[in-house]
Amino acid sequence: MEPDIKIGLEIHVQLNTKTKLFCSCPTSASEPNTAICPICLGHPGSKPVMNSKALEYAAKLALALGCKLAPTVTFSRKTYFYPDLPKNFQITQHELPLGRDGKIALDDKSIVGITRVHLEEDPGALIHKGNHVLIDYNRSGIPLCEIVTTPSINSPSCAREFLKKLNTIISYLDIFDPNNGVIKADANVSIKEKGFVRVEIKNITGFKEIERALTYEIERQKESEVIQETRGWSAERGITYPMRKKETEADYGYIVEPDLPVFTIAEEWIQAIQSEIPELAQERAARWEAELGIDKSDAKIIASNKRVANLFEEVAKTTDPILAARWIRREVLRVLNDKGKDIKETAFDAQHLTELINLLRDKKITNRIGQKITEKLAEKAFSPKAYVEENKLTMVGDEDELESLCKQIIQDNPKAVSDYKSGEKKSLQFLIGQVMRATKGRANAQLTRALLEKLLEN
Amino acid sequence: MIKEFAKKARAGSIDLVEHTRKAIESAQKINEEYKYITELGDAISRAQELQKSAKEGKAKGKLFGVLITAKDAICVQNLESTASSAILKGYKPLYNATVIERCLEEGAIILGKTVQDEFGFGGFCTNVGKGYSKPKNPNDKKRVCGGSSGGAAGITKKADFAHIALAESTGGSIANPASFCGVVGLTPTYGRVSRHGLISYANSLDKIGAMAKTVEDAALLLEIISGADPKDSTSASTPVPEYSEIPGTVQGIKIGVLESAVDERCDNSVRKAVLCAISKLEELGARRINIELPLNSKYALAAYYILALSEASTNLAKFCGIRYGAYDTLNGTYNDYFSRVRSDNFGDEAKRRILLGTFARMAGFRDAFYTQAAKIRTQLIKEYKEAFKKVDVIITPSMPTIAPTFEHVKKLTPLQSYLMDELTCPPNLAGLPHISIPCAEHEGLPIGLQIIGDHFCENKIIQVAKTWSQISK
Amino acid sequence: MKITPELVRSVAQNARLKLTSEEVSKYSKDLADILKHFEVLSEADTKSTEPSFHPIRIINVAREDEAGECIAREEALSLAKHRTQTHFKGPKTQ
Repeated sequence: MEPDIKIGLEIHVQLNTKTKLFCSCPTSASEPNTAICPICLGHPGSKPVMNSKALEYAAKLALALGCKLAPTVTFSRKTYFYPDLPKNFQITQHELPLGRDGKIALDDKSIVGITRVHLEEDPGALIHKGNHVLIDYNRSGIPLCEIVTTPSINSPSCAREFLKKLNTIISYLDIFDPNNGVIKADANVSIKEKGFVRVEIKNITGFKEIERALTYEIERQKESEVIQETRGWSAERGITYPMRKKETEADYGYIVEPDLPVFTIAEEWIQAIQSEIPELAQERAARWEAELGIDKSDAKIIASNKRVANLFEEVAKTTDPILAARWIRREVLRVLNDKGKDIKETAFDAQHLTELINLLRDKKITNRIGQKITEKLAEKAFSPKAYVEENKLTMVGDEDELESLCKQIIQDNPKAVSDYKSGEKKSLQFLIGQVMRATKGRANAQLTRALLEKLLEN
Repeated sequence: MIKEFAKKARAGSIDLVEHTRKAIESAQKINEEYKYITELGDAISRAQELQKSAKEGKAKGKLFGVLITAKDAICVQNLESTASSAILKGYKPLYNATVIERCLEEGAIILGKTVQDEFGFGGFCTNVGKGYSKPKNPNDKKRVCGGSSGGAAGITKKADFAHIALAESTGGSIANPASFCGVVGLTPTYGRVSRHGLISYANSLDKIGAMAKTVEDAALLLEIISGADPKDSTSASTPVPEYSEIPGTVQGIKIGVLESAVDERCDNSVRKAVLCAISKLEELGARRINIELPLNSKYALAAYYILALSEASTNLAKFCGIRYGAYDTLNGTYNDYFSRVRSDNFGDEAKRRILLGTFARMAGFRDAFYTQAAKIRTQLIKEYKEAFKKVDVIITPSMPTIAPTFEHVKKLTPLQSYLMDELTCPPNLAGLPHISIPCAEHEGLPIGLQIIGDHFCENKIIQVAKTWSQISK
Repeated sequence: MKITPELVRSVAQNARLKLTSEEVSKYSKDLADILKHFEVLSEADTKSTEPSFHPIRIINVAREDEAGECIAREEALSLAKHRTQTHFKGPKTQ
């Protein structure tokens, strides 16, 4: 059945090599025009020399996306004139891309086809100043991997999911540094009711933005006449707008880049790169589900972050994997989220986290205490077991001890008790809270609730 | 002989500062009349520095104290390098071309830059860029030098000091002026010499080579500049022999004579001179084998021009008045500004070749021109390879005529000018090493003999050329 | 194939050359003349021939991903007429 919406994406990922694609300038620089040389400035007489790492990274991504690699790789000159492009041509790949015919499966089992994966150089950056531009060539020559999908994405949310999945793969491969680069997408979108007239939207950055931009554009197409055109996306205004015809009709006059050799892709090279590709998120999550009985949604969320996933695997080896998964997904990720940090910027480690989860598993501490320790473990490594002992944080799980405490609390809070009895069930929560307070969070929450309920019945 | 000069200079028995001063004076005098040099370097300070090292007994280098000129397209640090185009006016490279570095390591002194057809776009050196003077033939000022390395050939002929020239050939730009001016022009295999620092005409065809008064001197320069360079991915790592030590002999050498190159299409005087030279080589033990290269004869020129201009038109895109070279008042949009700078500064032939090259790679025409030419190139290389199974070298005239007059050249249509390259285009398109040596004179003007070898067989063409230079003495 | 002045104008625009009308007619004539001669290429049978983008086979030349020296900003900027202390200046894009 033909879908109502067809979306295709063209994504540019900056590869995290140390140096540029064709020269040995660094890929990161703070001051404008400080990472430049005759090659990335296009000075007469300079010649590009391929960065072997960039080729390797691009091949790795292509393979991870299930692409076939071309037996030989050549580069082409794509000629167009623009002030940010030092040679007025971009070295890219034209006829035969490095990788083709790959795919990513979405959660609803639909498949997004990948037409091509290729390597190219980034232009410089422009600052518009009214009657002229200022140009910074630091970005010029930075390696980009371009990924082009078939128009097989059927909704803005699927486009977002695709980008997220792609992002997970890239982070698993360690070929992208989110602190020093962005993932940019161009999208083409067309709808059935307007006869699938294709509109191209340029330069969308981020998962949320892709969904917003596409949602806006589809609504726009439904409500107005659609012509084949290129539009820009304004994140501030939340709209797409028509762009000038600049490049849509340009003739790039592709020729083979004669300053670069041909790269032959040997089977051994492919195998070597393939062997460096780790088990990716989707397979990993599926394996946890099958082998460890991990909840599907826990598995998916943990697997989507490679470092968190590695931590989980370590922890799960020596403790209850289901509990570990739940704890990492709820608590560790909550802490990371609150702090706005990546796991590698925290002190979390497998040994101490395992110890903590063992304490939880053995009901030695309450969840409340567990949460507090988790927060502390993000800051520095220490033994939760010793910490619990030292600070006397062991769970109060003795029924007699807890019952007498509950009685005391009932006695001290007559208002809450009477509210509860007149039907204010919320008051029970207050009383549980009082017990927790009295025990500094150490009371077994389930037992406390049961005891209070029983005592209040009487 | 350069080797002897360098040896004496190293020993301190030549006053290098004095020699250099005289050389500059002489070059300036020649230049007033003949217009070979566009820029002079600071040769005196370099000579002083070398002289000092000689006095201290630290002199070294095969080119010690030798004056080198570089075709304008070869970048020399801090010395205006424009490929004789107004669009690069004022451009002083921040770095040296690899060939310059290698010459400096061997103790050379950079005398200056030699004029050429703008970006190499010509066969007569009459297409110099706006503001440049056309060089005159050293044998007859009414005649052209040939191109595009015209200034290099002229100064090589006229220099009365120890000098070798760095020249460059894309489609015949060394053999052609060497033939017209009467000097030795040695073009190596594609990739034999690094192109790093060469302002590109057509990257898959450009070859830096040598021009000198003798085969041995040209071979010496080639042996210095050859070899792999990490800054040029297309440079070859094939070992470099001592070209200058190759003895001249043709004993047992099989010479392929390209029959179509010595037919009625070339001038009588040229044909006679070349055939006479071949018989003399036969007398010395060479074997003559007549060959034909029908595909090359038919297609090479057209395939060469299509590929060269497709590449050239992309190489020249970068010149737009922002980062270096010519500029204009910064107003209007980028399209307007770029078009203004480019239209005002490119010469007539540069514009013509940009148009041709842009056309040949445009969608709708690319398959029929650019891609087809690249496929034909495969067949043409194969045809040569087959020929080299039967012969060691192939001999043709370098040019079908002697140097024409400026007046004659003016009357030629662009196509007629291109057709003058029919003997030099084929080996250049196939990336084959070739040497042009003077073999006779007609009306006081030199005739060049072109000896072509298989890829990386520079040794064979040098060996045959050397034999000829010994017998023609 | 006919080389019309319109075609030459569009090629020139693509190459960012502004031609006078005299130039357009001169180059139209030259290009027609030259390309007619070059049409000989169509006579070659190349159905089973791979293209050669270099005269010799050059494969797999690449460098290690190791940082080298950049050039000083002042030096690079000094070659440009239009510049600030930190940036190249170029023509506006719209």
